[in-house]
This record gives sequence, structure tokens and C-alpha cells, in this order.
Amino acid sequence: MSKLKIYSFFEPNVYVFFALLFLQSACTSTTVDEFRQGQTGITTEESVVILGRRQGNEYETREEFVGCVGDRVSSGQDAITVIPEREFIDAMFPWFEPRTAPTGISNLERLMADELVAQQMEEFGVRYMVWLDGFTETSGRTGSISCTAGPGGAGCFGFGSWEDDSSFNARVWDVKSRQNVGTINTDASGQSYLPALVIPIPLIARVEANACSRLGDQLKAFVKGD
Amino acid sequence: MNENFFFKHIKRTLGVLSIILVQSCGTSSIVIEGQFPSPNVNKIPLSIGVVYAQELINFNYVEYSEIGEEEYSIKSGQSHRELFDALLPSMFEQVVVLDSAESAASQEVDIIFLPVIEEFQLALPNKTKLDVFEVWIKYNLRISDTEGNGIADWILTSYGKTPTRSMRSVENSINQAAVIALRDFASSFSLGFSQVPEIRQWLSQR
Repeated sequence: MSKLKIYSFFEPNVYVFFALLFLQSACTSTTVDEFRQGQTGITTEESVVILGRRQGNEYETREEFVGCVGDRVSSGQDAITVIPEREFIDAMFPWFEPRTAPTGISNLERLMADELVAQQMEEFGVRYMVWLDGFTETSGRTGSISCTAGPGGAGCFGFGSWEDDSSFNARVWDVKSRQNVGTINTDASGQSYLPALVIPIPLIARVEANACSRLGDQLKAFVKGD
Repeated sequence: MNENFFFKHIKRTLGVLSIILVQSCGTSSIVIEGQFPSPNVNKIPLSIGVVYAQELINFNYVEYSEIGEEEYSIKSGQSHRELFDALLPSMFEQVVVLDSAESAASQEVDIIFLPVIEEFQLALPNKTKLDVFEVWIKYNLRISDTEGNGIADWILTSYGKTPTRSMRSVENSINQAAVIALRDFASSFSLGFSQVPEIRQWLSQR
């Protein structure tokens, strides 16, 4: 009797259930909005530096997200030269540390008055400085999974789900004209599931990855002036 | 014979496993390791003699769990030496490493620098309920002339944090937060040295 029940887990409609679940998990909703304050455009000799804001008390923009947006902007047919964040911050040390980084365009103007900073910036060929600020929050954790192990084997049973919400904004500064040329906001959310029938099957919503790709594409178009 | 050989191996394996289990229940040891860039600042025309006290090099902080057991042991290791090796030559015309403050007279230096850690604090996410690992380090930077007269006792607090969402282990996250705190120190030190009132006054009298 119990054997029949176990076999029933592997019936075709169970696969349909998982397929539907997977499709649902793959859906994340992403919203991008752009606010332009000035003209943009970039030549092949010029570059962009994308930096994460790390002044907040309770969170900081993750290096991995900044790197992801940078990779997106610097890849594809209409790729733009992006200076890696760590390379730039180290070369400009100590001017772009969490405590010393310019928080407004007026601070940048003051910073560029320093000969060493201006010279280093010139060497990098930085035309636009992009400040990314935001984080991904996980909420609505529900369900439970229990795992047991014995001499005959091990297994997990249960169901868990949670929601991820990403919110990032990118402020674009024109280093040449010392102007704030615009802001791009990205919000993404999605539900992830973790059903466990003997083995746990994670169905993860790629919320931050979607936010990264949409923000990267929009940023590339914005800088090019499209 | 074969049975003895089998039991011998079983015993040895169990012994190794029990050591691993005991170790995994004990204190996690972290030696701060990182890379530190040289600052882009104008050099101060001074020859500085730096004394790396044993209390700085051998600094060890122990974080206790809520039930009073040793949880993490954080050692300074070579991190401060590497930090000052990157920092001081970019800030001063000449840097001389001294064995002690008394040996300064024979080395022709202008000032003696003796950095000491006064306090170290660690904040873990499971205690603060925040999504970051945080490290605070309070330094006492003793600056004196070659005759041993104190110029300044500069108290400098540095801070570093790293998010929990990064795919790092707890040990790596604590190390990263400590490295950021050391960078924060280097940043404040390189930009603030000439601004300390006592040092500024001493420099103006030279």
C-alpha cells in the first residue's frame, strides 16, 4: 500500500505540477524608470566607472551587483569600456572609501581640484561616474522542510517559499561637465519555492540578476544618449 | 590479522573524526589578511621612525558567545605591518622601521610613530539582527619627537562592514569587515595627519 503511494509521486501530473511551479518561479516582475537631466554621449576613448554606495548604516550595495551591472554594460555589440570598481577605488585611494567618497556633484568638483586626483581620473579616461545604491530584501518566508537520515537512507519532506525584492538606483555624473545627468531606478520582485520530496528542488526567482540585466541595458542606452 | 588491521583503521578514522568534531565545536580562528593600496596624497617632508610594538603585531581579540564560550579569535597577524608598509612611504619623505623608540636618535628621524590598538569590537548579524558584519577598531597613535617628548596622542576609530548576502563564510566576512576597517583607518590617517591640531602646531614650529 505504502509502495503504491510512493509510486504516485512519480505520476505524470506531478511533473506537470513541478513544471508549472518552475514556470511560476521563473517569473519576476521588473520595473525600470529613467529620469534624464542632461545630454549624454560617449566616445570610444572614454570610459565609465560604476561604484556602489556604502555609506548606509544597515546595508551596503554589494560588490557582486556592481560587478554584474559593469559586466552587462561592457558586453554586447555596443559595449562601453567600464573600469572595474576595485581597480578604480584602489588607484584613487583614499578618495573613494565609504567615509570619503563624494556624495554630491559639488563634492566631486572639490575633489577634482586636487591635482593627483584629476591626473588619475584623466589616466582612466573617466567620462561618467555611476553611483549604484540599493539592496535586495527577502521577506514572507513561509513553510517548513524537515530532513531525516537513517541506516536505510536520507530524505527531506516539506515546502518552503519566500519573496525577494530588489530596489536599486543609479545616479549618473558627467565628470567632464561636472553635472548630474540623470537617474535610473530599478525595482524587481519575485517568489521563490523550495519543494522537497526526498530531495529538495530549489526553484529560485532570479530577482537580483534580472534587476542587474535590466539596469545594465538601460544604463548603456542612457550613457550612449539613445 | 586482517580483522586487527580493519579495527586499527576504524579506530584511527574514529579518532580523526572526533578531533574534527571537537575542533568544529571550538573557537574559529581568524588571522586578518588583505591587500592595502598606497594613498594618492602629497608627501609630508618628514623622516618618520615607526615602532611596531609587539602588542600591535600580536593583537588578539576574542568574541564570546551569549553563553560565554569563545566563539571567534581574531588575530592582527601581519596585516598592520602590511598596511603601514603601503601607507607610510606614500605619506612621508622617509620611513625608518625602529626596534624601539630609544633607537630613534641614531637613525636621524624627525618624529617617532607608535601605533597601538586600544579597543576592538565585533558585531555579528545574529546578535545585532542587521544584515551586516561590523568591526570597529580604536587606535592610539602616539607621535613624539626624537627626544621622546610627546607631540600627540591621536585617538582614531575606524569602521568596516560587509553584507551577509555575499557568498562568503562567517570567517571570510569578519576578515573582510576588518580589512575594510583597516582601509578606513588608512584613509583617515593619510587625510587627517596634518590636520591634527598638535601635529599641525608642531609642523608649523619647525
